[in-house]
Parts: sequence; structure tokens; C-alpha cells
Amino acid sequence: MTEQTPRDETREEEKQRREPRDAAYWARYAETLKVTGVAEGATNINVEGRRAVGPLQGFGKLWQKTYRVSLKDAEVTPVEVIKTWKENYKDFWPEGNLFYAPLAGITPGEVALISGSLPGGVKLSTGVMVLYADDESFSLMTPEGHPFSGWITFSSFEEEGTTVAQAQVLMRANDPLYEMGLRMGGHKMENEMWRKTLENLAAHFGVNEPVEMNLVCVDPKLQWSHYRNIWHNAGIRSAIYTIAAPLRWRRNRARQD
Amino acid sequence: MEDEPLSGSLHSLRGEYEGIKEIYRTRRNEMPEAQVKMNVRGAGEKASIIDVEGELTAFAEGVLMDAYNQASDGQVRAIILNFEDMEYMNSSGIGLLVTLLIRINREKQQLLTYGLSDHYRSIFQITRLDDAIAIHDSEEEAVRAANSA
Repeated sequence: MTEQTPRDETREEEKQRREPRDAAYWARYAETLKVTGVAEGATNINVEGRRAVGPLQGFGKLWQKTYRVSLKDAEVTPVEVIKTWKENYKDFWPEGNLFYAPLAGITPGEVALISGSLPGGVKLSTGVMVLYADDESFSLMTPEGHPFSGWITFSSFEEEGTTVAQAQVLMRANDPLYEMGLRMGGHKMENEMWRKTLENLAAHFGVNEPVEMNLVCVDPKLQWSHYRNIWHNAGIRSAIYTIAAPLRWRRNRARQD
Repeated sequence: MEDEPLSGSLHSLRGEYEGIKEIYRTRRNEMPEAQVKMNVRGAGEKASIIDVEGELTAFAEGVLMDAYNQASDGQVRAIILNFEDMEYMNSSGIGLLVTLLIRINREKQQLLTYGLSDHYRSIFQITRLDDAIAIHDSEEEAVRAANSA
């Protein structure tokens, strides 16, 4: 085994001491997610205590989906676009989906709750963690049980003198049931959702440009070793939670009596 | 002696040429450049090392994939990423590592790393890349692991 020279040690120490430029932009590591403050109307049944999951932990095919809109003729910089997007994130979502922003806003490590709908009208309670946020981009990462396993990065940049806004999803369906759902109309619903979101963002800046989509299947293989993810399926758990509402009501009433 | 004036058509041709040159100059200046350098070197019969120096962001995609193509020539079964001189990484950079990993798995190769600071080790944990990418403390250790696999 080679011994470390004093010079190597100094270099190593210096490297560890030096705070990287991106340090403040990343969430800190935590084994499980913690929701600080539940907004009125939000349900925290599938987020607290769950682990965040990336594209490697999912079950389905790996997709990279890019949605972008050119903010042509809008006098706006990428920093202004991202500032506006962070502050008004929930307002740009299409109707039918609710985003309960964290109290501290879109800042690294914060957790937001989501109330959405799945094909067939099933209500879904889930959430996302802010994985990364700087002045020109931010990324949200999903918890176990979410329809997809991965992250979505929102960014803005200059391209040939025009500011562009972009959302890029890197994801796998979290379990076999979600994979089936995505194939049976889920992908279409998701594409429509992000198209509408970018249209709303562009409209905020007075722009009416078409949203470009680029959908790439990065890995067509299913990860069968992750089929057990279905245990955390937020759709199933949300449905059970809804069905059991009368029982919870009776139990609470009995306690009060 | 004065230069003979160019004919109208030649004038306009030269004007167009200068115009095109200007467009390319402007585009080159406006295009975000990758602030990253990657150096590829061999490490035994089965492994190659890619030294990553600078910023790992979306703009590094071309450079990283070129480096991978160069590194995976021949009988190489393992790719080792050296992050000792990485100065910055954002979430798009992490996304690049995921797509690289998929490519490497498809080629039945292995991906290993070394030189990650505590900060970047923590990012590998948060994003759960450490589930699939082996992290080593030193080049020696990574090369030994790559060549013994």
C-alpha cells in the first residue's frame, strides 16, 4: 500500500475545507423526508417518513422528457424567469392538480405536498422534495410511492439572444401498476400537464409560443428487482384513505363522546 | 494606385460572406460553453480513468460522452471517474451521470468513482447514485476494484 506524502495530505485537507460553489444549492442528506407544516387542504399520508427516490430506484422504462418554450420578445432574463417560476409555481399548474408549496418556498431540502388525480379519477396525495435550487434552475425529487421515481429540473437560459424556459423530467414509473397506467394514457396526461404549465408560464410574460417536446426512452428495460415498490403506491394508499374516511369519522366521534 | 472598385454583385457577395461570418461569431459567443475538461487514460487492461476537471452541468454532455467513447475502446470493462478536480455540479450534471451509467450497464461495463469530497459524496447519497456507482477513496483502490471484478 502506498503511503500518503505530507503534500498529498495537505491537498486532501484543503479540498475538504474548501466550500464548493454549489454547496448552498443542494438539499442536505436525510434518510427520510420530513414535512414542516401541512397547509390547509393538504394531506400528508404518503410523504412523511418516506425516502426520496431517483431514476435508478424505479421500476419502469427510463424516460427523459424535455419541454421547452421560447420567451420570444419578452424582456426577461433567465434569473427573472426562475424567480417568477419559484414564487408562482402552483399558479402555473393546470387545473385539477394542487401544489402546496413549502412555507419556506422552493429552497433546497424543503418538501411540498401535492394533491393530484390519476386516470380513472383516483385522487392522489403525494409530494416532492426540493433537491437543488439556484438562480437559474431548480429540481424536485419524488418520494417512494409517487407515480414516478426520479427528478424534474426547471431551468432557464439564453439561446441565440432569446430566453428559453425548460422543464426536463428524468423518470421511471415507480412500480408495475404505475408503468401500466403510464402506458394507458398516463404519459399523455403528463405531457399535457407540462405543456400547459409552460404555456401558462409563457403567458405570464405575455408570450404565446408553442411548447416543444422531446421524449427519449433512455432505457427500455424494466427493473423487475424493484417490483416491490408497489407496497408504497400512493394511488392505492390514497384510495384506501378516502374509502376509510367514514370509519375515521366514527372513531373520532366515539372518542369525543 | 487605387484599387479598382468591385462590381455590384461581387460587393454584395463579399457583404453576405462578412454577414455570415458575423452570425457565426455571434452564435459562438452566445452559445454556452462547457466549463469542463476531461482527460482519458488507461489503468490496466480492463479499466480506463476519466479525469473530470471543472463544472459538471448540462453543457458537459458532449465532452463526457466523447470521453466515454474514447475510454471504452478495446477490452475495457470498467470506467473510473476521477472527481478530484471537479469544482461544481448541478442537478443536470447528476442527470448526465445517470444516462452515462445506463450506457455503461448496457455495454456490460462497470462504473466506479474516486476523489469525491464529502459534499459530493453527500449528493451521491441524496440522489441515491451510490446505490449503483461504487465510490472509492483513492485511485489505487478504484483501479484494484476495477481490475479484480
